[in-house]
Amino acid sequence: MSALTVAAAQAPQVHLTAQTRIIAAVLAVAFMVLILELIRRDKLQERYSVVWFVAGLGMLAGAAFPGLLELVADAMGVRDTNVALFSIVLLLLLGLALNFSVIMSRQAAQITRLAQERALEKARQQAGSGENGSEAKRERLES
Amino acid sequence: MRTLVFIPAWNEEDSVAAVIADVRDRMPGADVLVIDDGSADATAQRAREAGALVASLPFNQGLGAALQTGYLYALREGYELCAHLDADGQHPPAEVARLLEEVRADRADLVIGSRYRDPGPAESDDYKPTISRRIGIGVFRFFLTLATRQRFTDTTSGMRAANRRVMALFSERYSPDFAEIESLQLAVREGLRVEELPVRMLERAGGASFLTPVRSAFFIFKGLIVLMVGQFRPRRGAEAGR
Repeated sequence: MSALTVAAAQAPQVHLTAQTRIIAAVLAVAFMVLILELIRRDKLQERYSVVWFVAGLGMLAGAAFPGLLELVADAMGVRDTNVALFSIVLLLLLGLALNFSVIMSRQAAQITRLAQERALEKARQQAGSGENGSEAKRERLES
Repeated sequence: MRTLVFIPAWNEEDSVAAVIADVRDRMPGADVLVIDDGSADATAQRAREAGALVASLPFNQGLGAALQTGYLYALREGYELCAHLDADGQHPPAEVARLLEEVRADRADLVIGSRYRDPGPAESDDYKPTISRRIGIGVFRFFLTLATRQRFTDTTSGMRAANRRVMALFSERYSPDFAEIESLQLAVREGLRVEELPVRMLERAGGASFLTPVRSAFFIFKGLIVLMVGQFRPRRGAEAGR
């Protein structure tokens, strides 16, 4: 165990290969094109696209300037740049998922209020139109 | 004083008409509103036939949202007092009238009907809780008392009476998931006078309790989180609105 640890400590830093970088760059560009296309077809609202676009740009930057990633890996104390990459992406996705839960909660509250407003409107109409309203109104006048 | 009695109902077609008739009989001066929480059965129709106003939510939103709808209606339509009771026949309207009397006399802003503060000699059709329910009740009682520094015995009671201060608070902030307990915590935190009154409750006439052991455990767990978070929520400052 300790021998392994020592060996790992002495191992050289693992960098991204040229092949990985090319694939990442191509994917990043394709991803950003996809985002733009979704916006163009009205399937994605601009306000929810910004964060994805930034993610795509980040991916491209990582592929174009591997030095950036190595800096981050160093700062994290990770020898393998790939591990740093995975960690960053994982955190980013976690943040995004949380962001969506927050948006979802807000929309759930809005939907509830909308449903309540509609229900209230119906009840108000019923109260206004004779059916049972006559009785309610008479009592209102009395009190 | 103008009084609204509202009844949240979800698939209660068997019992809702009798409850409405009973309420109208005992409290002839009050308007009755049934909040139909997206029922799939004829709840709304039965309620209308029985002479109640009906507010139908287009889809099931849960008890909290249904109750909030009632508070909203009472607030907007200018009622001075409101009360709510369950649609399954557990809550005798005569007892609801007693709760309303407390609020009318301005002895409290919010009055809760408690099954567990002994109201007198027991009768054969009185409410008797099951064991798993009793455990849950004990847990909530302890933590709510801890959170509010006020003794509550029946934390999940759905029989309450309130004035306009409470309407204003609950129509703005009311937890959709955990209505009964969080609302008590909220009301006490906002400086409202909350009081419990012993009442008689009956065994339910229709419908079944939604609690199974697993659900109970989940319910309790969720409740504790809600209470904990509730302690750290910013105060709205109901005092300012008085």
